[in-house]
Amino acid sequence: MLSTYQWVAIAMFGIGLFGVMYRRSLVGMLIGVELMLNGAGLSIMAAAQFTETNGALAQLSTLLVMGLAAAETTLVLAILLIVDKRFGHVESDNISLLRG
Amino acid sequence: MQMLAHLTFGFYLVLVLGGGMVATGTRSIVRAFAGLLVTLVGVAGLYFLMDAPFVALMQILIYIGAVSVIIFMAVMLTMASRGERYETPLKTPRKKILSLLAGGVMALLLAGMVTKYPIMSSMSPRGVPVSELGAALLGPYALVFELISVVLFVAMVGAMVAVYERRK
Repeated sequence: MLSTYQWVAIAMFGIGLFGVMYRRSLVGMLIGVELMLNGAGLSIMAAAQFTETNGALAQLSTLLVMGLAAAETTLVLAILLIVDKRFGHVESDNISLLRG
Repeated sequence: MQMLAHLTFGFYLVLVLGGGMVATGTRSIVRAFAGLLVTLVGVAGLYFLMDAPFVALMQILIYIGAVSVIIFMAVMLTMASRGERYETPLKTPRKKILSLLAGGVMALLLAGMVTKYPIMSSMSPRGVPVSELGAALLGPYALVFELISVVLFVAMVGAMVAVYERRK
């Protein structure tokens, strides 16, 4: 049963990575990253719930991933606002300047 | 009972994969956001199915409650404020093929790992009582708990400092 959940997690990771590469706007890329992080959390959780591993460790790891995802999203929102103010759009193709 | 579990798993699987496809495939950013929400609900259901109701509720609280609101704000403050509903369309299909290749190759690598090194697993999940999680957070993993709160705090203050405009 563990492998079933791992397949779902791999599918989510693949879809997320495709989204990050394919999307042009930074918001769309952020959605892709969220999908990938969710796949990782699912995989961690399944790895402990179906084996002899300490279950508390996996549940806390998944919570940790969620916390990091929340922090990451907050920072990305700030970056999006700055990029939008400076460039007038949030599409990744034309943002190639890394100057302060 | 086993049959019911399989049916529920199939339902959540459809939610997860269908939502993921919508989240990455549509041109409308709002529809993509709705797809992400469906996927998050599906993952929460899978956590319930894995006998981890606490994490499932946390998934609903943190992802569907907080993270999605932040993404919603991101859409609202950037694209929607100018009336943009769609991303600019691609001129050539080359990028789509390359993106499919990127996602597919990484997924295939991971799939190879899973099939090559199978792990002995039980058929039914083992639940962990919430009291044990609390004890672990206050005992052996107290430092991790403190560190993640510091990371969250720094991220939020950093975000505010980054977008703060000094009065000229």
